[in-house]
Amino acid sequence: MTREEIKSLILEIIEDIDEEADFETLQPDKPLRDQLDLDSMDFLDIVMELRKRHQLQIPEEDYPHLASLNSCVNYLEPLLKNA
Amino acid sequence: MKVPLLIIGGGLSGIAAAIRFARFAPGALILEKHSRIGGLNSYYFRNNRLYETGLHAITNFAPAGNKKAPLNRLLRQLKLSRDQFVFHQQFQSEILFQGCESLVFSNDFQQLKDEINTKFPHSADGFTQLTAFLSNFDPFQITPFNSTRIFLESLLSDSLLIDMLLCPLMYYGSSIENDMDLSQFAIMFRAIFQEGMFRPGGTIKDFLDVLASHYHSLGGSLRTGAEVRTILHTNLTVHGVTLTTGETIECDYLLSTVGLSETLALLQKPETDYHVPRLSFVESIFQLPENKRSHLPQDRTIIFYNSAPEFHYCSPADLVDYSSGVICFPFNFNGLPQQEYIEVRSTHLANSSGWKALADDREGYVEQKSVTAEKSKQVLEEIIGTFKQDIVFQDTFTPLTIERYTAKKEGAIYGSPLKIKNGNLGYTNLFLAGTDQGFLGIVGSMLSGVSMVNQHILSRL
Repeated sequence: MTREEIKSLILEIIEDIDEEADFETLQPDKPLRDQLDLDSMDFLDIVMELRKRHQLQIPEEDYPHLASLNSCVNYLEPLLKNA
Repeated sequence: MKVPLLIIGGGLSGIAAAIRFARFAPGALILEKHSRIGGLNSYYFRNNRLYETGLHAITNFAPAGNKKAPLNRLLRQLKLSRDQFVFHQQFQSEILFQGCESLVFSNDFQQLKDEINTKFPHSADGFTQLTAFLSNFDPFQITPFNSTRIFLESLLSDSLLIDMLLCPLMYYGSSIENDMDLSQFAIMFRAIFQEGMFRPGGTIKDFLDVLASHYHSLGGSLRTGAEVRTILHTNLTVHGVTLTTGETIECDYLLSTVGLSETLALLQKPETDYHVPRLSFVESIFQLPENKRSHLPQDRTIIFYNSAPEFHYCSPADLVDYSSGVICFPFNFNGLPQQEYIEVRSTHLANSSGWKALADDREGYVEQKSVTAEKSKQVLEEIIGTFKQDIVFQDTFTPLTIERYTAKKEGAIYGSPLKIKNGNLGYTNLFLAGTDQGFLGIVGSMLSGVSMVNQHILSRL
């Protein structure tokens, strides 16, 4: 997957969690949680969806890498390069 | 057979836990002892008519836009759309201490604040401090028991107000006598006073049907009439369960929603809390034709009353304590379609061991049940006026009825006085959810199932 594709994947997953999520003003380097009003329970959905869709096992200690849209892409890029 | 996740109990916490798991992984199985799901919030049929058990109202009402509210978080976690449900908000409810004072509240918290400012001016500032304190308080932190009474006495100068605030919160969720843990109080205060009450459209059956069909559509399985006899384990690792039929089902993870001491019994562990009294209740349903509704209160959804000089929330010496209780008018919610019949429901504290002693005395039991219905009607009529003459059907549930159909020990609907907030029983792959994990009410127990699966199971898959 390209960086652009990974970005779309994350946004698609978030939209699936919260159909009213507003991406217009989303800043890619700022924490997703604060900007989208996500809590830790919602956050687990992102991890679980990545597992379900791409068989990715993300250990709990790596969850901080998923904080912002940019850090998600950086973290997932090597993991999804053959996807 | 072997499944990844086995859930004991098809009540609302078990169903929610199962849906949460089924969203991300196949193979969840719910085992329900009764022939129907729902646990405490279920239904039965008499004369081809459906009667609900348990449900008076659902607490934790929240408008659709409030993403952080427990109700909306729950729906997101289960991937249920709010559009699948119709929610009817309460009109208003009342805390009535006869001969003393009355407080009316609704889903607009300001109404309760105004009532307190007018009727308890000396406690008005204290009440403002209380709400400020609660807005910064984290009730989900694991802390030792902290007395709500002592805390409230430090803030509110009117002891009557303290009892009046505690009355609905205790009746709708306290498993301990005459006090509450401050965390529990904070959860219930928000659930009932700040968020408020509603009920789903249709009956509890319709609500359960939506949940069950969602669960099945995600590939989950459910077996009713499946009673667990023992939990199979070696040291601190669980392998599965044996049913009363002798069948063995193996599992990777086991989630028990049947209560703390009930679960320990399945593990063949000794009792932990038998010396602490468990609180049980009697509940009566009085059904009337719709055209008699003008004889009943028009704008009250629930009345929490006390007629004793002091409010006691404890197991009574007699079979039933009629001096306090809850009166519910399930037809008084906004936007309900007209029905052929309406109901008045009453709840009072009961002495479960007294009722248990009647278990083998069929005649005595039936007689006491009808005495209970009569006395309950009498105290209700003093509060809401006469309606006895209009009743077309009535039924009473005792602690024995509740124990029989919900498997709650001693019919204690709010479970053990001891709660295991993190669901951890010291086993590697067995966790507790539901009533004895400490979240109460329909939204609370469902969030309990969800959060136990999130914390202990999904993150380890």
